[in-house]
Amino acid sequence: MKKNLDELSQERWDKEVKRKKSIRNARHLVRVCIATTVAACFAVLFLMPIVLTVTNSFMSASEISSNYGQVFATSDTGGKMYIAEKVNLKFIPDMVSFSQYITVLFKSPEYLFKFWNSVVLVVPIVVFQLLVAAGASFGFTRYRGRIKEIIFFVYIILMLMPYQVTLVPNYLVSQWLHLLDTNWAIWLPGIFSPFAVYLLTKYMRRIPVSMMEAAQIDGAGEWQIFRHICMPLCKGAMCSIAILLFIDYWNMVEQPLILLSDQEKHPLSVFLSKINAGEIGLAFAVATIYMVPPILVFLYGEDYLVEGITYQGGIKG
Amino acid sequence: MKKNKKLLTIAITAFSAMTMLWGCGKGSGSEEETSGYVYVPEYVEMDVECNYINSVAAVGDDVFMNTVSWNEETGESSNALYKYDMLEGKGEVLPLALDENSNVNGMVGTADGNLLMVVNIYSYEQDENGEITDYHSEMELWKVSAEDGSVAESKDLSGIFDDPENTYVQNICADGQGNIYLSDGDNGIHVVDQGLNKICDIKLENWIRSMTASKEGDVYITTYGENGLELRKVDLTTKKLGEPVEGFNGGYGNQEFSVGATKSFLVDDSSKVSVFDLSTGTEEELFKWLDADINSDSVTQRGELSDGRVWAVTRDYSADGPASVELVLLNRKDASEVPQKEKITYGAMWVDSNVKKAIIDFNKTNEKYRITVKEYGNGVEDYQAALTQFNADLTTANCPDIISLSNVDFHMYVSKGVLEDLYPYMEKSGINKEDYLENILKAYEEDGKLYGILSGFYVSSTLAKESKVGDKTGWTLEEMLEFAQDKDPESVFPYGSRSSIFYYCIYNNIDEFIDWESGKCSFNGEDFIKTMEFAAKFPEEYDYQKEREGLSARIRSDKILLMDNSITSVQEYQMITGMFGEKVAFLGYPNSERKGNLIQPAGGCMGLASKSKNKDGAWEFMQVMISEEYQNSLVSEHGNSYGFPIRKDALEKQFELDMTPDYYEDGDGNKVESAKTTWGWDDFQMEIMAATQEEVDAVKKLIDSAEKVAGSVDEQLVNIITEESEPFFKGQKSAKEAADIIQNRIQTYVNENS
Amino acid sequence: MHFPGKGKKDRTLLKSQKKKNSSPRTRRGKLVSAGYLLPSALGVLLFFVLPFMIVIFYSVVDNPISMQFVFFDNFVSVFRNNAFKQAARNTMTFSLVAVPLAVVLSLMLAMMLESKIPFRSQFRTFFLSPMMVPIASVVLIWQVLFHYNGMMNEVLALFQKDKIDWLNSSFAQVVIVVLFLWKNLGYNMILFMSALSSIPKDILEVAVLESATPFQIFWHIKLRYMSSTILFVTIMSLINSFKVFREIYLLKGDYPYDTMYMLQHFMNNTFSRLDYQKMSAAAIMMAVVMVIIIGILFLTENYFGKDVEG
Repeated sequence: MKKNLDELSQERWDKEVKRKKSIRNARHLVRVCIATTVAACFAVLFLMPIVLTVTNSFMSASEISSNYGQVFATSDTGGKMYIAEKVNLKFIPDMVSFSQYITVLFKSPEYLFKFWNSVVLVVPIVVFQLLVAAGASFGFTRYRGRIKEIIFFVYIILMLMPYQVTLVPNYLVSQWLHLLDTNWAIWLPGIFSPFAVYLLTKYMRRIPVSMMEAAQIDGAGEWQIFRHICMPLCKGAMCSIAILLFIDYWNMVEQPLILLSDQEKHPLSVFLSKINAGEIGLAFAVATIYMVPPILVFLYGEDYLVEGITYQGGIKG
Repeated sequence: MKKNKKLLTIAITAFSAMTMLWGCGKGSGSEEETSGYVYVPEYVEMDVECNYINSVAAVGDDVFMNTVSWNEETGESSNALYKYDMLEGKGEVLPLALDENSNVNGMVGTADGNLLMVVNIYSYEQDENGEITDYHSEMELWKVSAEDGSVAESKDLSGIFDDPENTYVQNICADGQGNIYLSDGDNGIHVVDQGLNKICDIKLENWIRSMTASKEGDVYITTYGENGLELRKVDLTTKKLGEPVEGFNGGYGNQEFSVGATKSFLVDDSSKVSVFDLSTGTEEELFKWLDADINSDSVTQRGELSDGRVWAVTRDYSADGPASVELVLLNRKDASEVPQKEKITYGAMWVDSNVKKAIIDFNKTNEKYRITVKEYGNGVEDYQAALTQFNADLTTANCPDIISLSNVDFHMYVSKGVLEDLYPYMEKSGINKEDYLENILKAYEEDGKLYGILSGFYVSSTLAKESKVGDKTGWTLEEMLEFAQDKDPESVFPYGSRSSIFYYCIYNNIDEFIDWESGKCSFNGEDFIKTMEFAAKFPEEYDYQKEREGLSARIRSDKILLMDNSITSVQEYQMITGMFGEKVAFLGYPNSERKGNLIQPAGGCMGLASKSKNKDGAWEFMQVMISEEYQNSLVSEHGNSYGFPIRKDALEKQFELDMTPDYYEDGDGNKVESAKTTWGWDDFQMEIMAATQEEVDAVKKLIDSAEKVAGSVDEQLVNIITEESEPFFKGQKSAKEAADIIQNRIQTYVNENS
Repeated sequence: MHFPGKGKKDRTLLKSQKKKNSSPRTRRGKLVSAGYLLPSALGVLLFFVLPFMIVIFYSVVDNPISMQFVFFDNFVSVFRNNAFKQAARNTMTFSLVAVPLAVVLSLMLAMMLESKIPFRSQFRTFFLSPMMVPIASVVLIWQVLFHYNGMMNEVLALFQKDKIDWLNSSFAQVVIVVLFLWKNLGYNMILFMSALSSIPKDILEVAVLESATPFQIFWHIKLRYMSSTILFVTIMSLINSFKVFREIYLLKGDYPYDTMYMLQHFMNNTFSRLDYQKMSAAAIMMAVVMVIIIGILFLTENYFGKDVEG
């Protein structure tokens, strides 16, 4: 009897599951359709600027100015003015022209020069910030105590400070250390930025202490634990943080502007942010070229970006 | 796979480490170079008497100078060729077979050790009255021996040009092969070989600024392209100009190129001298002119010797009489070899030329202090950023000792405590403040403390016929608008455009619209809206092409009612009165207290930094500007000075001189009053005689009425107003709507600062 | 990566650790781990803490040149300053609107992509694309869109609506919120997607069988499991919400229409006018508010976190 009941319930159970599943499937289909449509709409909105930037970079200077010239007419004082009669937002160039690219790539070396400046400024920051952060996060993860928690909290506060706050004091400190006007003035604050420490610590703290304990009992030193347990587990996270850092610093504007008075050292992002009327066409081409590294980094690391943050993060961990 | 990744990581790390080291090496390297050595000037003894230097060229280490002088009595001019062996330090005058009707129009040294000269020979016929009837010129190319100045060859150049009669040779150059490059005033480059056989002609769209041979023996030109000054090679193989040289970033500067001895070129950008290497595309600074006590404004030619020294020919144009020509050799010395003086920094957005001269004189004579100049705004792309940098430095250890107050926000500096009260210093140096014009000092005072001094000044104002506006010294914006509103815009101001109206009505009186006490501004008030509507009548840009009568004619026939102008001397006042044809009223800029005549500093205006560690040293220089001696040196015998001195007795002396007539003796031995000088503007020209007491009194009255220093309006405000008034001018928004937005944005500005 | 059931084990281990706290090995380990922290700590000290100390110093002196100690005068004057008040109000409103919106919308997007729609990974990439567009071209395009004669007004004209001066009216806030969302939704969404995918499947299965409505599943299971991610996303959005200043700055310069005027404008402008004391006082007030917000978030997380893990 008992067995029967079990069989019966099992049968019922199965039926129930099937019924629910079919209902779910029908509902699911509708939902997928709606979701796809909504997602597609969103995707169009999200993609528009990037597509616009790329397509407009293939327009000739005259086409650009006939489309937006009015919007970006420059006043005597160099300020932007908003006077267009009508703006003509166009996706497809009337005639594909490479003139902007030719100017950027071959005619005036300054853009490539500034591009190189960007690379020189950003790559060391990303690499070394990660290295420093890896050590620091390990320090924060192991043997957590009250002092470390307080320090970590300080890190969070500092991370949240908008850089306008620290930019001036940073200027003073750089001056004191004789870093002004050298790339170090950008590199050092970048390398020691608490941002990566915060993200990586959050991640590392999810690694079960038991794993490290076990290794310790097996006689592994701190270095071994760091190198062979933490680092392999954090690889994805490191990659995803690297992408975030890269994109963030790739677009920096204020720091070089204040800390590097020598304009020849400025990265391309600064140039892009100061673009004015006559150069709009050029701006699109430069922007397109400037987008290439982030896109490459992104395509290369997109999976890491998704995997790397697959944890139930929390601010305290 | 794993190994690859490891390698990749290592590669990236190594790469970034390298870039860091590279950047670092570059950074520290340049610093060492500028501080490790100095260039010390050595003046070469030379006896040049001439009225002007026509051209200078170098053949190896010999410098050649072609000078022209004229005999006042006979009215004849004569040429001379000076030769200096720079290494030996020997100079001689070479005979040059040039007659009175010829002149050298370009000279260059060749690789084979000769001089090439373009010589213009004029010939004309005179009729019995001495009128020139048949005038024509010929152009010849002379090959002159560098040894003895003898003419080895002379060839007719006319075959090279399409229209030789009307062609002017701007530059001449020779390359390593002996080919000759000539550029004409029409942007054409003509290249011929030694036998004057045409190699190629190149035509440019842009103006050819200069042409120079490089050390490598190629010829390059500079021209203003899309991104400022470009350096481009004249390429004989393609018969075209090469692409702009990479690495040379001229901006819109004023670089002069000369052939280099150690690197490709010697480059002088009028503040510093550097060498440019074509193979690496790098520029390396040698020295700043000011550091070598040389006024770059007076440098006419410079070059590099084979031993790395730099020579320069300077000519002081400011002195009256024959040119004082000097040849300077700059020796590179270790910084420790020269006597160390205490360093005083003069910080400025850019340095006024009078101040520059004063600094050089001070440095040459003062044993204890040396002024170094930090110029923030010279030739920078982003002026606003440079200004921010300047301001940022004022609060740090980088603060200059002396702060130039031209083109900066004087009141802000005072309120932030950047500047030091100067009265105690004046007292200590025994300078009596009663000796100076009260209203001028007062304009730089705040709460009875003096924060700035200036050597001279002039007054800017609005000029109108007294018969039209009455005998007034000021008016309000309302009165001004009432006067001008329904007049034809063309007849209100000369060169009137929207932005000039804004400058006239608003920016010169921005405080009228902002009440800093209460923190309120009134950009949506009636006055502002009326001004906008008034400005809307004016064209966006003044049409200079349009056919108009001359200025003076239009003023006299009331086709121009107002003029926005400065009075810099009694003579200028005399000219203005002459131009108007009747008594002129100085109304100043619209101002609610009717006090709109503005003081404009002339020849530098400076303050003492309260952060300075060497205030006494700084003051020692500053007091020069107001010293009796310097003030008296501003007095010009011929009355053509730019600006008035601020010392009362110097000003009185100037007035006295202005009223003293010049005489000449006519054939019968009678003294006849002669014109002091001639002034003119547009269609108007007049001979200036000695001023009358009345005229001097009018100028005095004008000076006395000026109480405020022309302030600099924050560019932020100009940008906001320009940006937001535009939709109104385009007819897309009403004046009120536009004004509301301006009010909104500027109110934030005011709130922030109050 | 997810480590289920971590909580309990950890805690027991922590307890056992406590017991052998004094062993020389642990002490050595502690020291070594502190050594790992050292480089970063020194750098942070030099480039972040020291500057912050300078900020504190400036906030209590009258100006950076004479440096007279004035206690809290600067705080009082800044607090009374109308521009500061405006800026604080705007920043607060913006963060209060934009951050929750960024969280909710990105969660919705994430759920949408969860439902196994076609081209899922492509959509994901598309949503992330705004991160890569250089800021300057974003601003260019935004100008074209929201210009007085721009695209948006053209669209409005199709519906016979009056033109709106987007950037010079109270709509300006809307524009920047949209801009902010556009830039940040993608990344937030990714964070949520990974959190969603790490919810144990068995629990969801059971819930379905227990006839839980989708809403119940969402509310009682998914949300609970994602509570810490939500807080994390909130923090990240908060950080990014301060970065929106750069776009506003590039759109309208130092003094935009007052509804767009942020605390960073205030600090930026006071800096260029040498009013370091004002800037510093404002910065410190901002920091205090920040500490409070973070504190609250901490407490909230503690509360919810226990709920799931315990």
